[in-house]
Amino acid sequence: MSLRKILAIIIASFSFATACHPGAKRYHMRGQVMDKNVATNEITIDHEDIPGFMAAMTMPYKVKDPAVVQEVEPGDKIAADVVTTTDGTDYWLEDVRITDESGRKSTPPPSPPQRLAVGERVPSLPLVNQDGKTIHLDDFKGRAVLLTFVYTRCPMPNFCPRLSSQFARIHEDLTKTPGLIAKTHLLTVSFDPKYDTAPVLRRYGLAYLDNDASGFAQWDFASAVPSDLRKLANAFGLIYFEQGNQIAHSMDIVLISPQGNIVKYWATDWTTAELEDALRTEATAPPARQTVQAGRLQ
Amino acid sequence: MNRHLVTYVRWWWLLVVAAMLAIWPTCRDRQASQRGEELFQQNCAICHEASNLDLKKQPPKLEGLFQSKTLPSGAPATDQQVRKTIIHGLGTMPAFEGRLSDEDVKNLLAYLHQLK
Repeated sequence: MSLRKILAIIIASFSFATACHPGAKRYHMRGQVMDKNVATNEITIDHEDIPGFMAAMTMPYKVKDPAVVQEVEPGDKIAADVVTTTDGTDYWLEDVRITDESGRKSTPPPSPPQRLAVGERVPSLPLVNQDGKTIHLDDFKGRAVLLTFVYTRCPMPNFCPRLSSQFARIHEDLTKTPGLIAKTHLLTVSFDPKYDTAPVLRRYGLAYLDNDASGFAQWDFASAVPSDLRKLANAFGLIYFEQGNQIAHSMDIVLISPQGNIVKYWATDWTTAELEDALRTEATAPPARQTVQAGRLQ
Repeated sequence: MNRHLVTYVRWWWLLVVAAMLAIWPTCRDRQASQRGEELFQQNCAICHEASNLDLKKQPPKLEGLFQSKTLPSGAPATDQQVRKTIIHGLGTMPAFEGRLSDEDVKNLLAYLHQLK
């Protein structure tokens, strides 16, 4: 075979390989399945370092082929490719192979704590906000509250930074509608009380409020003592645990009515507009509807 | 002449030691930079090399970070300032305190210095 032919084959192979996944990057991953969620098409993996993509940690991944989620079980060791868009805004798993199923758990993993049902009253546990002041969820009675959980050192742009950025956009919009300010409130709760002290939360909050401290009147950043934090997380279905030097966690957003009852949860897919619309609707709902909702609880 | 040659041969090992001492810092710097690149890919690239993230502020690209007199924040482009930013965070950038060791930060700085 002539050198020209060999070169042509190499170039053609390269072109074919790149054309198969235009604009995508692939990284090889090895790890162990910790949990799976057929409804959201996700598996949570405790994975080794993924050179070029991420340090070792436990986190949920979407899977391209839904059949894979049916097939794998917690305890399975797997190898897979993490595929990301070139701009890094999205990533998922492809080519998932079970390499060892001897550790497969015969019994299903413990379910996450049973969160409060829609309509149930939220617990009013003491939280300490960015000013070091003790606050309770009851303090916001009369306002529709959008609550979420973060930790300020979260390095994953699609997790806590995204949640806080979305809340910041909602806050900006709300301030443009003076009538809504008094009827709504945003609350970001940290599940890392050891690091996220009041001064740290204040600094974090100011970064999302364009350094305007008056914004704290509509958006609190708070944490709690670990035991209360665990109760609050259980009430809202949040899962979090320390993993090496990071905190693995689920994402949860809760809408609470002006009467202090659960209206809606978001845990997988949502948009900023969807959250904001729901908050506005709840804040401006006629009292009759709110009363019915409160009545249903009792 | 022969006597000089014998003297040179007797002390040849000094030349080897001198050469090794001259090369060693370069090797060490290269290793630090390589480790720094791995750390960068694992901890920083997911934000600083991405675009169109759903974030309030897009993280800045870091190519040529130390070529400029100032950092994207406007602070002086010094090792001390970048170390402080990595450890304590800045604005919406999370702190890496407790997650990266002093050695890790040193290696990251070595890599950032090489980013053109």
